[in-house]
Amino acid sequence: MTEPTLKDRVEELIRENKVLLFMKGTPEAPQCGFSMRVVNVLESYGVEYGALDVLPALQPLREVTAEISDWQTFPQLYVNGELVGGADIVEEMDESGELAGLLGVEQPERPAASAKQELQADDPQQSPPMQIER
Amino acid sequence: MAISLDEVRLMIEASLPGAEVEVVDETGTQDHLRATVTAAQFEGLSRIEQHKLVKNAVQTRFDDGSIHALSIKTSVPG
Repeated sequence: MTEPTLKDRVEELIRENKVLLFMKGTPEAPQCGFSMRVVNVLESYGVEYGALDVLPALQPLREVTAEISDWQTFPQLYVNGELVGGADIVEEMDESGELAGLLGVEQPERPAASAKQELQADDPQQSPPMQIER
Repeated sequence: MAISLDEVRLMIEASLPGAEVEVVDETGTQDHLRATVTAAQFEGLSRIEQHKLVKNAVQTRFDDGSIHALSIKTSVPG
C-alpha cells in the first residue's frame, strides 16, 4: 500500500473540517499578522475550526495548495471544502455579513476591546492544531 | 531586496489593461505592500478569483522575495 502524499493528507483535512485554516503559527500563538487577523475573525464567530501550522513544512505546503487551489500564500481559510481566501477577503466578508452566512451563524456583535466578560476565555471553540508528520 | 511601488503598479497594469491601480507601502520597508485595483476584468469573478489575477501579475516578485506581503483590495468600476 502506498503511503499517502502530503497532498492526500491536505485534501483529507479540507474534507474533514467544515472550517479549516492554514496559518503561520497556532491560534494561541500566531506567527504572522495576517494569520492573526483571520484567527481573530474566526474567534469572534465562536465556530469550531481546524488550524494547521504551515511553518514546519512551508514550501511543500505552498506547492500542495498551489495544485489544489492555485493559491500559495498563507493564511488560507477553507469553508465546506473551498478556499475562501486570505486575511483581506475574510475581513471583507466579515464586514459585509457574507462570512456569517457562509459559516451558518449570526453576525457577531463587535464588543469593545475591554468588554470581554461575555466571551468564555477558557473554552476555545477550535480543535487543537494538527501536526502533519513527514 | 525591496521593490519600487511603480514597478508593482506597472506589472499589475500590464496584466490588467485599463485597470485603475494604486500601490502603497504599508510599513516603509517596501516589502509589505497594499494594492487597490479597480478593473472591468473583475466583473462576475469571486473575490478569490479577482485576487488571483492581481497576485499572478506579481508572482515572480513573491518568488524572488522582493515582495514579502501584499494586501489586495479589488473592485469593479461602478
